[in-house]
Amino acid sequence: MTNNPNTTVEMADAKLESPALIRMKLMWRSFKENWKIFSQSKIGMIGLYIVIIFAVAGFIVYPILAATVWKTTSLNAMASYNPVTGYDFVQNNPAPPSWAHLLGTDPLGRDILAQLLYSTPREFMLGIVAALITVIIGTLIGTVAAYFGGALDTFFMRVADIVLLFPFIPFLIVISGMMQVDLLTLALIIGLLSGFGGITIVLRSQALIVKSRPFIESAKISGASDSYIIVNHIIPNVMPLSFLYMMFNVTGAIFSEAVLSFFGLLNIKMSWGLMIYTADTAGYIIGSNIWNYWWLWLPAGASITLLCGAFYFIGRGLDEVVNPRLRKR
Amino acid sequence: MMLKYIGNRILQIAILLVIYVAIVFFLLHAMPGGIKTLLISNPKLTPQAQEAIIRAFGLNQPLWLQFVDYMKNVFTLNLGISFSYYPTPVWNIIAERLPRTVLLFTVATLIAFFVGFASGKSLAWNRGKTTEYVSTIVGIITYTIFTPLLIFVMIWFFGSFLGIFPLNQFLNPDLWIHTRLNAQVIFLYILLTMLIIGMVMLVSYLVALRFSHRVRTRRLIFYLSTIITVVFSVFFWWVSPVGIYAADILWHMVLPVMTVTIISYAGNMLVMRDSMLETIKEDFITTARAKGLPDKVVRDKHAARTAMLPVVTNFVLSLGFVVSGGVITESLFSWPGMGMTLLDSTLAKDYPLAAGALIFTGIFVLFAHLAIDIIYAFLDPRIRY
Amino acid sequence: MKAVLEIKNLKMYYDTQAGQVKAADDISFSLYEGESMGLVGESGCGKTSVSMSIMRLLPENARIISGNIFFGGKDIVKLSNEEMNKIRWAGISMIFQAAMNSLNPVYRVGDQIIEAITTHEPDVTFEEARQRVASLYKLVGLDPERMDNYPHEYSGGMKQRAVIAMSLACNPKLIIADEPTTALDVIVQDTILRELEKIQKKLNMSMIYISHDIAVIAEVASKIAIMYAGKIVEMSDSVTIFKRPAHPYTVGLMSSFPSIRGAKKELVTIPGEPPNLLNAPDHCRFAPRCPFATDECWKKEPSYEEIEDNHFVACFHPQNLKKQVRANAG
Repeated sequence: MTNNPNTTVEMADAKLESPALIRMKLMWRSFKENWKIFSQSKIGMIGLYIVIIFAVAGFIVYPILAATVWKTTSLNAMASYNPVTGYDFVQNNPAPPSWAHLLGTDPLGRDILAQLLYSTPREFMLGIVAALITVIIGTLIGTVAAYFGGALDTFFMRVADIVLLFPFIPFLIVISGMMQVDLLTLALIIGLLSGFGGITIVLRSQALIVKSRPFIESAKISGASDSYIIVNHIIPNVMPLSFLYMMFNVTGAIFSEAVLSFFGLLNIKMSWGLMIYTADTAGYIIGSNIWNYWWLWLPAGASITLLCGAFYFIGRGLDEVVNPRLRKR
Repeated sequence: MMLKYIGNRILQIAILLVIYVAIVFFLLHAMPGGIKTLLISNPKLTPQAQEAIIRAFGLNQPLWLQFVDYMKNVFTLNLGISFSYYPTPVWNIIAERLPRTVLLFTVATLIAFFVGFASGKSLAWNRGKTTEYVSTIVGIITYTIFTPLLIFVMIWFFGSFLGIFPLNQFLNPDLWIHTRLNAQVIFLYILLTMLIIGMVMLVSYLVALRFSHRVRTRRLIFYLSTIITVVFSVFFWWVSPVGIYAADILWHMVLPVMTVTIISYAGNMLVMRDSMLETIKEDFITTARAKGLPDKVVRDKHAARTAMLPVVTNFVLSLGFVVSGGVITESLFSWPGMGMTLLDSTLAKDYPLAAGALIFTGIFVLFAHLAIDIIYAFLDPRIRY
Repeated sequence: MKAVLEIKNLKMYYDTQAGQVKAADDISFSLYEGESMGLVGESGCGKTSVSMSIMRLLPENARIISGNIFFGGKDIVKLSNEEMNKIRWAGISMIFQAAMNSLNPVYRVGDQIIEAITTHEPDVTFEEARQRVASLYKLVGLDPERMDNYPHEYSGGMKQRAVIAMSLACNPKLIIADEPTTALDVIVQDTILRELEKIQKKLNMSMIYISHDIAVIAEVASKIAIMYAGKIVEMSDSVTIFKRPAHPYTVGLMSSFPSIRGAKKELVTIPGEPPNLLNAPDHCRFAPRCPFATDECWKKEPSYEEIEDNHFVACFHPQNLKKQVRANAG
């Protein structure tokens, strides 16, 4: 390895470049390597494809449809495709799938497909905002606690213990029953609650491993400040693990939202969970005849499952990148 | 030593409990639109009742005094009076419903643990085969499936399509209408029977461990005493006049238990698989093989036994997840336990009951945590008490 | 004397994504009753592959391509896994490279030894097995009281002794000690090796020591085989190897280690690294690092020949031959 001519040449080149550029190049190289490992994980790739399909449907297809075909014109004035306030007077609602409504209509006469697509970007937003908050808090606390240790460390670990013991969904149920919780508030609550929980414990132990590596010691000797070491050395090394946990947290956040709106506890206009809630409270989901009105619950339920599953799949794929011991030989 | 460790843990749990109750209190009382506002705006209560509640709970006092009172009340189980079941005290409702949740969870959790453990073990051992791939996918699907979706399909499949299990409810009203029996009493007896069976299993296991060194003899002692106890208790219920009512309750329990099991087994399975894959690469597994032990012994006694430890740890982490799944399961199957109570009281804006349910769900989780900690200390000799 | 172990032209290859790795290539040697042998080479030269082939504990992607391993007259290459299980530990036992981790952390150390005894001798009662473990503990210098402790309650040296006691549990004919002492500090290392040698002599067992440290091996083994890149390049009794090392690699190995008794001289290291066993070349594998390499060495592989009584070398330019030695002396 040491006498590999390529490395020597690159090292010589690197001397001429600015440190930021080197950092960028190194990051790009490690990204390419990690991507190679990740792309070999079938489960991870399936997850990624599903997420891309949902993203395209929600962020590109829906705006186009809403601006063209689903726009209320004189021709289809009767069939408004507004996912929240629309009503189709032409038929008995809920109506099974037809050419006018590819996935049928709900008990209030609204187009199911429009509801589904309308909700997609919101689910993404909720999941990613909540997970980002969680990961930022978790990474900061985890690394700082590991780096400084002592009372700070003990304090945050005890906090994590408490949060870990929290019955999460029951707690959210009571909160959202008391307050008017909208999507962004929910993302904030979920993000904050899980940010102080298990993720800090995991990231702290990873940061402890990084901290014991020799380059941290040499950075200290060369006079780097604590904050510089944390930001430039420790955080980049726990980043892959943070990213992995972010995927699991997206799953958790979307799932929690779906459960809460399924119970009708959230102050939101439309979401996948709310679609099932609407069908359930209108009495269309009863044991024996659930398949008679399948379009009322199956598309929404499947979407929740697929998107949650997809992020979880990505997480499993990333697990093989982060945790080499799980890799196949 | 062990007792000291358990004592320590109980002390820690007590501290955590105080903090937990404090959080719940400030959530309910200190937030804008807290309990007092809600109390006054609740149309179901007469002004006199409102007055009485405000006076009884000192809602006009300063916040910190209220907090002290509240804490005292929680530890004396004085949780207030339910709005929706006025004037039933909250504690009475919870005392009735907590055992139902405990039973549902304990049974489902034990099954989920063993199913997950066994399947994760064989997945790792048969790595690279099609069955491994299929079961992993199925596991992940059941792990990430939207719980209500799963329940709809379960209810339809077992309740309507196959028609073998009752759709929902705790019991069959047609059967119980002709009797003056109290369902709760029967239920508690069921719980007692299960407790006895569990204790017999534990004791016979310990006895077997203590008095025999041959695996075959140990197994004989364990299985024989378990089977005898089970047969005996089934016989006891069979001849007793209330056996049919107990059977009715158990019959209604099957679907909820199955659902909670399906929700939680996959997590155990996946962790067990990963942990087992790592353990197989350990040096002591090579040693075990080199000793000429049969493959099954290497797999079960050496690899699986050691790989089990992270599964138990993971179990603590996933407890919240399982409880959440339980809330959904209980309310969709109309299983009147803590989860359903929590949801119904929240929807009915019955805050004393919701707070009580939340607190006791927390206590339940705390004790489950304690139980797992103690089991872990038994399983891993490296834990210093 | 009867040969306990006889290996003939053993070839063990790994199938990897990059190609075939010839981890053990054409290995032959025999070991007699009560004889102890050292297998020496740098890491990655195939020592452990040989020992794992003898135990038939190969990873899934490893295959014994050809050759025979006769143990007690039976060719164990052809045995099924169940038949092999009867030979493991009862016939051939092992002291593993990483003794620190070769005990299962969740079972008592004594129980792990008893397990080996009761598996191979089902008639032995638990009490008898315990007694045997107690006497084994005394033999290796451990307090029998400690047998009910868990591995994490042992120190590194104690674990090593326990692992040695375990390897003796079923009175095997042959013990393979794979780097038995590398993880220990020098003083403990020396004591344990000497005790191991004493036990081996006392119980008249055959022993294969595997190590990268030729100096350590020479003190305990009567015969030494030097391995390089999956092949045995030199083999003889340890005195001959030490006095007249013939292969340049052996010469290099010996000057890489400080000798306690010998005169002070500068340590010479062998330049370069052992070759990648993937797609091994068809010339002499040591040629790239050899100071004596000629064109001949780059053209074909040297054959494995007996250059003097009981001294085998695979080299075109063997060093320190008797004649030379005599000439130098004269």
